[in-house]
Amino acid sequence: MDRAYGTTSRKAGRMTTLALEYFRSAPRFVGARTIGSKAPGLIAGPLAPLRLVNLKDPEPPSGHDGWARVKPLLAGICGSDLSTLAGKSSFYFSPLVSVPFVPGHEVVGELLDDCGDLATGTRVVMSSVLSCASRGEDPMCPNCAAGHTNRCDRVAVGDLKPGLQTGYCSQTGGGWSRLMVAHRSQLHAVPEGMSDEVAVVLEPFACAIHAAQRARIEAGDTVLVVGAGTVGILTLIAIKLFTQAGHVIVAAKHTKQRAAAKMAGADEVVRPEHAAKSVRRFTSAVKLTPERGPDFLLGGADVVVECTGSKSALDMALRTTKAAGRIVVSGIPGPGADLTPMWFRELELVGAYTATAEDFDRAVGAGATMPILEQLVGATYPLANWREAIDHAMSAGSLGTFKVAFRPQD
Amino acid sequence: MSARDELKELARGFRWGRRPLVPRSAEPYAEERVDAGFPTDWARSRAGVAVRQVILNAGMHTLVSVELSLRIYGLDHLDDVPGPVIFFSNHSSHLDATLIMTTLPDRFQKKTAVGAARDYFFDVWWRQAYTALAFGAFPIDRGRGAVGAIDKARELVDDGWSIVVFPEGTRSPDGHMQRFRHGASRLALELGVGLVPIAIVGAYQAMPKGKWWPRGGRPVVTMRYGDPIYPVEGETHQALSVRMQQAVMELFDEDRTDWFQATARAERGETPSLAGPAGAPWRRTWEGSRPVGRRGRPRAWE
Amino acid sequence: MPRPGFVLEVDERTPSLLVNEGEGYRMQRFPLGTKVIYPPDALPGVDDLNAHIRHALLHPMGDAKPLPELLFAGMKLTIAVDDISLPLPPMVTPDVRQRILEHVIELAARAGVDDLEIVVATALHRRMTAAEIRRMVGERVFRSFWPKALYNLDAEDAANMTIVGQTDQGETVQIQKRAADSDLIVYVNINLVAMDGGHKSVAIGLAGYESLKHHHNVNTMLHSKSYMDPREGHSAINDSTVRMGRYLAANGVKVFQIETTLNSETFPSQLGFLNKREWEWSGKDQGLMMAAKKANDLAPPRIRREFFRKIEAPYKVTGINAGEVEAVHERTLENLHRQQLVEVQGQADVAIFGIPYVGPYNVNSVLNPILVHCLGLGYLFNMYRNDPIVREGGVAILFHPVPWEFNTIHHPSYIDFFEEVLAETTDPKQIEATFEERYAKDPWYIHLYRTSHAYHGVHPFYMWYWGAHGRDHCGDVIFVGGEPKSVARLGYRRADSLRDALEMAKDTVGTSPSITYFHAPPIMIADVR
Repeated sequence: MDRAYGTTSRKAGRMTTLALEYFRSAPRFVGARTIGSKAPGLIAGPLAPLRLVNLKDPEPPSGHDGWARVKPLLAGICGSDLSTLAGKSSFYFSPLVSVPFVPGHEVVGELLDDCGDLATGTRVVMSSVLSCASRGEDPMCPNCAAGHTNRCDRVAVGDLKPGLQTGYCSQTGGGWSRLMVAHRSQLHAVPEGMSDEVAVVLEPFACAIHAAQRARIEAGDTVLVVGAGTVGILTLIAIKLFTQAGHVIVAAKHTKQRAAAKMAGADEVVRPEHAAKSVRRFTSAVKLTPERGPDFLLGGADVVVECTGSKSALDMALRTTKAAGRIVVSGIPGPGADLTPMWFRELELVGAYTATAEDFDRAVGAGATMPILEQLVGATYPLANWREAIDHAMSAGSLGTFKVAFRPQD
Repeated sequence: MSARDELKELARGFRWGRRPLVPRSAEPYAEERVDAGFPTDWARSRAGVAVRQVILNAGMHTLVSVELSLRIYGLDHLDDVPGPVIFFSNHSSHLDATLIMTTLPDRFQKKTAVGAARDYFFDVWWRQAYTALAFGAFPIDRGRGAVGAIDKARELVDDGWSIVVFPEGTRSPDGHMQRFRHGASRLALELGVGLVPIAIVGAYQAMPKGKWWPRGGRPVVTMRYGDPIYPVEGETHQALSVRMQQAVMELFDEDRTDWFQATARAERGETPSLAGPAGAPWRRTWEGSRPVGRRGRPRAWE
Repeated sequence: MPRPGFVLEVDERTPSLLVNEGEGYRMQRFPLGTKVIYPPDALPGVDDLNAHIRHALLHPMGDAKPLPELLFAGMKLTIAVDDISLPLPPMVTPDVRQRILEHVIELAARAGVDDLEIVVATALHRRMTAAEIRRMVGERVFRSFWPKALYNLDAEDAANMTIVGQTDQGETVQIQKRAADSDLIVYVNINLVAMDGGHKSVAIGLAGYESLKHHHNVNTMLHSKSYMDPREGHSAINDSTVRMGRYLAANGVKVFQIETTLNSETFPSQLGFLNKREWEWSGKDQGLMMAAKKANDLAPPRIRREFFRKIEAPYKVTGINAGEVEAVHERTLENLHRQQLVEVQGQADVAIFGIPYVGPYNVNSVLNPILVHCLGLGYLFNMYRNDPIVREGGVAILFHPVPWEFNTIHHPSYIDFFEEVLAETTDPKQIEATFEERYAKDPWYIHLYRTSHAYHGVHPFYMWYWGAHGRDHCGDVIFVGGEPKSVARLGYRRADSLRDALEMAKDTVGTSPSITYFHAPPIMIADVR
């Protein structure tokens, strides 16, 4: 019954697509932002700015081609989704999204239409950025022209409503629904034999590869990866796979994360509070204790990759990187980190935002040979159980789970 | 303009709560700010004296006699002294002024003021108030030969007050007596009053510079008052200083041996110096901190 | 005449015996037939300490001249003193070092010596705090010399260390430059155990890493059987220091050695039962013991630590000898053995040790797991002459809770050693080869050693080597009551009770092993034949 319901009717205007929709609600926003951190249960409960509704089928922009309908099979819940729900994401994003939207940008799905060279029925994964190509911008912005689609300057203009990614745009639909539309420029075919569980982490894996790229790690470098959630583990794998880092230390909060980091090839895995000590030990740095605040190093890691998006983690990164070293900010940085070391130690603070097509190709190539990725998806939920799913994802680390995903078709 | 804006405008021109600044071009015409100094006369009023005697006799005296084994000699020298005098002693401890003030006979205690260094004791208001109250103190500018203090001192002496001064100017860093500065002798010559020497033995061992409470074990401290000396007609202040220093040295010698021997040595000009050994600084401290009045068998060097 | 030490055999009439275990102790019933080694009773102290000091300084041993004749105006004189690692626990004031220093300084003052410095011979130990130094040398010495001419040795101050040369065995001899350039070094020592004193005083106390690495290594430690037995050929580490000391003497470094020995009155009278044999405890002793034990067990750890930290030993001086190093040390050892030597017949299959709360390296601090290892398998295990108390391949059972706890000020490198090095391997040789150099040269540890109060980066390695011989010799090591995680990290096994431990030992030594309990402290040396 479910399958018949929702996905196939092409008649416009009918409310036929079951979707989880994010909507604007001032009381919920304020509530989540103020007390959400103290009672995370409320964000999955009464304070969630989400509703499960039947929507009109998403309409691709008319006037240029390359768009096709996609039936999501698995759609991951990402850290950025959660911070949006918790009202924690920066207001900087507000002109870059169009509400109400259907979240979900880590998607593996099935094509319902032919899309360029990809035939109907092909399983695809999606690079989420809605860049110039998808917006019919001609000529493209210089970044897209150079292949850096993740840096597209046109994400708020063009044929499409504003939306930096699929999953933040009211026009395209998102992964947390039974039907969405995607542009050919976003799609990558999933190799035969790769499970949906592996495929759904290809998007974050591509981002991790991008971050490893941005880190410009040189042979023999000491690298500290802060955080060992999905992003942290994938970044660690990418660093091990695509760079010649000498010694990789991973700082992880939860037991399961530490075990996973060890399995994924970290040279040393420590609790966050011991990270500075470990880096100091390995690099023979000098550790100093300020009158207030955590210890810091003179000397330290060549590169630190921050994969959590918390203030304290960025602080730690700033305090454990050697002079003229590099910090890659891979999670959306929380506000309020003390930037003094950046100035004093002449650090490079480098952002890493999503991935390019090239990164995606590498992710697809490497992912095919890494069944370990399958273990990252720790739980899947049908859309109907969305509160449970969100609640699980909010405390995934302490529950020993890496990736929570929706099974929109169930 | 609203009242708030006006207030803001006004505030902009001043530095409330901070040091006022004179406009640059007006600097030559600015009034020079003179430190009027802390008034101390109230501390020598009848009420001040009463309070001081309570502080000295009930508080300080108890403390001193509990914490120290105090020995006092030579107070009989003061019996025949009628009027105001200048008391002076060696200076090696914060205990010194307290010891003198608490051991003076009542007659003197009521009307004695201590000359205290302006730069330290008259620096902040609470220390000024305490010093003035407990010691009836008046400020002396160190290193200016007591020039600035002479007027105040004359006023006090004319009023029948005695004065305590420490001619060394500052506490000894190692327990040995330092050269006497000439402020005290100048003062005596100016005022024409007698000078009573006092030797304080053991105060350095009990509570040296840097300490705020006497050492445990009730260390022995000896106070030895001497015969007053008077300025001679035509005497220079340098010569008087030397005589004053000699008087204290003789008292020390008397303390170590006995009055007879000390007098004999003084006669022969052989009174031992209190300057301590020459050479490395540690040797002066080593000698200066030698415990006094220790009992027991002799050591390797004895 | 105080009673000599002896060996008790546990029978039906033997009460439970007291066993130390860190900041606490327990009453333990031992299997019948267990041998218990007791130290001799405390010798009386000398009746007039000052007279003895005076006599020692004026009538030196060997070919040394009396001290006053060695002092002259214009000379450069350096006085070196042992640091806070001696004695244990710290003795009641006045410390015997203070008494001696006062005599020596007085003589120097009389001789007109100006250039006099006092150096605390810390080598790679932590710097002592000003308060600790004041307590040790006394107010008067402190006031006269601190901080310019009374200071801790800084063995990482390259400008003030000098390499004097090499011994015929190629060992680098490095000591403090000022000491090497002095006309005379006066060394004031406390000889608590047999490894102290002699040439060790100057050649180790004033040395740096360049010199220490020649004898503080796994190879020497494995060939020091034991390092508490400084007879030639018995202790490789002692032989090496003797070579260095003789080299120094031959190269013009003049040392006037003053050595002292203490009796065994380790605990103050409130804890007097700790000095006595259990069956001789009076009713009062038993009551005190019960009260102290109960209060201690119930007290929060901080209070307990504070209580133990405050213990001051009422040690009395049993002898003072001064003069030429080797002559003095021979007499010192005689004195020491008079107090500490106990004759024991035959080795045991199982040796039991109670590890007390304090060792040389945790005064005013915590006995961390590495120091527990060092104190147990290093110090206590090595308290023997001729043969170890336990036979080769036998089992050592140690009592200690081994908490995973470190003092971050005193032992920063220990934390890293425990977390990094021991996680990888516990084999001393491998540790030495892989990690020692890096820790010894780590700039952070050096910084903390020089400016804070931290043991040198290489010090935890020495602690590990210190126990190498014991570790190598025993077939199994079991900690009774040890925290599982930290005991496992040390590479040993644990048991909840002595019964369990003996049960576990059966795998190694069979069903009816001979058992010996080494009832220390007070400190003693078992002369096993």
